[in-house]
Amino acid sequence: MSEIYVKEAAFDSAPILEAKDLVRTYRAKDRVIKAIDHVSVSLMPGRILGIVGESGSGKSTLIRHIACLEQPDAGRLFFRGEEYTGKTAAYAGRHMQMIFQDSQSSFDPKMRFDKSLREARKGQNDPELLKRLLEEVRLDESFLSRFPRSLSGGQCQRMSIVRAVYSGAEVLLCDEATSALDVASQALVIELLQELKETHGISMIFVSHDLGVVSQLCDEIMVMKNGRCVERGSSADVINRPKDEYTRQLLDAVMEVGTETGLHGIKDEPAILHEVTERDLS
Amino acid sequence: MKTVVSVKLIKRRARIKAVIIGSLCILLILAAVLSDFLMPHDPNATSALLIRKPPSAMYPFGTDSFGRCVFSRVLAGAKTTIFATTFLVAVTFAIGTILGIISGYYGGITDSVIMRTTELFLAFPQMVVAIAVAGILGGGLSAALIALGVTAWTGYAKLARSHTLSIRNENYIAAARLAGLSGWQIILRHILPNILFPLITNALTQIGTTMIGISGLSFLGLGVIPPQAEWGSMISESRAYIQLAPWSVLYPAAATVLTIMLFNYLGDAVMELGAAERRS
Amino acid sequence: MASFDQNAEKNLQLSHARPDYVLEVKDLSLSYGDEDIVKHVNLQIQPGEVLCIAGESGCGKSTLLKAIHGMDAVNVTGGCVCFEGKNLKGLNKRELRSLMGTGIGLIPQNPQGSFNPLRTFEVQMKETMASHGLPFDPDEMVQLMESMGLPQGKKLLKSRPFELSGGMNQRVAIVFSLLLKPSVLLCDEITSALDVMSGQNVIDEIESYASHSNAAIIMVTHHLGIADRIADTVAVMNHGEIVEYGSKDQVLHDPADSYTRMLLEKIPRIRREAAS
Repeated sequence: MSEIYVKEAAFDSAPILEAKDLVRTYRAKDRVIKAIDHVSVSLMPGRILGIVGESGSGKSTLIRHIACLEQPDAGRLFFRGEEYTGKTAAYAGRHMQMIFQDSQSSFDPKMRFDKSLREARKGQNDPELLKRLLEEVRLDESFLSRFPRSLSGGQCQRMSIVRAVYSGAEVLLCDEATSALDVASQALVIELLQELKETHGISMIFVSHDLGVVSQLCDEIMVMKNGRCVERGSSADVINRPKDEYTRQLLDAVMEVGTETGLHGIKDEPAILHEVTERDLS
Repeated sequence: MKTVVSVKLIKRRARIKAVIIGSLCILLILAAVLSDFLMPHDPNATSALLIRKPPSAMYPFGTDSFGRCVFSRVLAGAKTTIFATTFLVAVTFAIGTILGIISGYYGGITDSVIMRTTELFLAFPQMVVAIAVAGILGGGLSAALIALGVTAWTGYAKLARSHTLSIRNENYIAAARLAGLSGWQIILRHILPNILFPLITNALTQIGTTMIGISGLSFLGLGVIPPQAEWGSMISESRAYIQLAPWSVLYPAAATVLTIMLFNYLGDAVMELGAAERRS
Repeated sequence: MASFDQNAEKNLQLSHARPDYVLEVKDLSLSYGDEDIVKHVNLQIQPGEVLCIAGESGCGKSTLLKAIHGMDAVNVTGGCVCFEGKNLKGLNKRELRSLMGTGIGLIPQNPQGSFNPLRTFEVQMKETMASHGLPFDPDEMVQLMESMGLPQGKKLLKSRPFELSGGMNQRVAIVFSLLLKPSVLLCDEITSALDVMSGQNVIDEIESYASHSNAAIIMVTHHLGIADRIADTVAVMNHGEIVEYGSKDQVLHDPADSYTRMLLEKIPRIRREAAS
């Protein structure tokens, strides 16, 4: 069995991934934009950390820096206690992989999936592992000989999850990974990421603007605004007992299908529930 | 409401057009390749008896002021002109594209150096530089090719750079970087295949311009050395007798115009075909 | 907003004259190329009604909206769209053009395509208003922009589309459409480019426009939360067909169709602890 397959979900006390005091500023015409302003991240093995914030809050920039796709102005990065600040993306890629929002664009449109996947594993094919991973994400093996454009967004996203795990990544950095998918595919991808965490012990940073998805999936949540981290804590705390005013606003702004008469009503006895509410009103 | 022409139909039309023009081009190239067998006379054989004879069954395009067969010379010239042009376009295209992709992908200082160099070459009018270089190198076809090549690569470099910039931030490039591919591997496996098509289309449309360049230099006496047949030099040699023997000027001129048109149409047809394919 | 009220009067008179539906879609089928995108769709909208067409990407909801807006690029294979009792098919190009914007307005999903990127918003808005024979009031525009969370409206008027982010352009496009005061406003996934908070602002603004001016709104969205917030009626689309159509309470809280149920169940909800 392959090494990554039987990785135990070891809940060490030491974080698997750490970013300390990252700073990145961009210079636009006449002003300086602090894309990341002294942000620290600490990810425990086998956990999922959610980063929420509006667009422009720096959440995507942050994980691109963690993956060494961009270099910070200041701050340090550690993987299992080993510093990798300033290394290349190829170096970071040995331990972590990114899942992008636009799943189709994360595969070379001129390349069949099997070739892309082989490339991600540096040429060392493991057909058995690949077969099992495809099964896990409910994709047919015949998809391997197809081109990215011929798959739906959801199928492509599952394929990119396969690619990340197949490449041997221990950490997945998901950048709005479910935001572009339709409802059913989104639910499936969330389920798959949960499974990956449980069966492979893979840790994740899940960046999203969708508080619903984040609260479903993540163990911890960090809220970002204008490049700064305004609040962090366990999912339950941040969602139910937000300390920061901005977090509260964010939670209030979410438009949800009426929670009080929501799903429970549908599943149990919808007709009766309806009658009750009508009677109450009159 | 306007009815929509189905994508299939557009695609079929584009394909038919590309096939027709493509086969005409192939025919032309074949004629150039087989010119040695096709010409009725030795293109360089002079005859005092046949000076400036009008077209006849023996000499379909007539003869020039040295009594040479214009038809044979047009065919021989096709070989010179078409091969010199395709060779020049291919070499400058390769050099320009590689430099452009490197410039676009790596950015930073590399980009600045390459781009400032191209701007330096673009600062002077292309033909002026070519005339100056050809003048320094002396006559001859290879000198003419170098003279034109000195500036011709810049256009390809600029185009390749801009296409590279448009895809270098695509997710699949980031994924390839995370997969541990080196810069060269990314360029060859992921960037080049994805931008090659528009670049080649552009190169095809450049064939016409380059042909004018070579013929122009030859016309000025800076290209091929007489008596080698080349359309530009043929026009130049015979232009003094245009009233006495218009055929000796008009046939090579017509050949030039037709060839340039054909290659331009080929570029357009391929571009249309690409657009139609992308729509489906 | 006084002008909205004037419009409301106009609309009310209209609705007195024709008390029934401002827009009717009758058995409409659309195709693109050889593919059927929309199959036998029926919708009726009254003035002041907010209809949400919910469905996932590719279900045909955007195509349906385009057909209602009289745009080409879709083949009508059956049925018709009637605006204030008039069949849109029977109108000539000029009538259709004068109807678009003031009669039926569309806020596209991708606003960048509908602006000239190099001209200021003020110039573009002035031209649009003039072409419909309406007066242009910059103050009204600034006010509307500010209520949508676009501060410094005066400065924005002088800026050009390419200088702004997608989300800001989206909001300006909404302002444009609202200023034309259409009696039917079509919105195509208008919040997908926006943040949570500005999305909320925009939805509020559209809702207030509907209630002030008695205009009908058709909002196409994949976001059922938006439907729950502002809709009066909800139509759920799947594979080009309307699988469920009814009042918001019925569709979202007591769905009869299995697809609607699936949509409602699969939405990731915020995991809040039960309030005790």
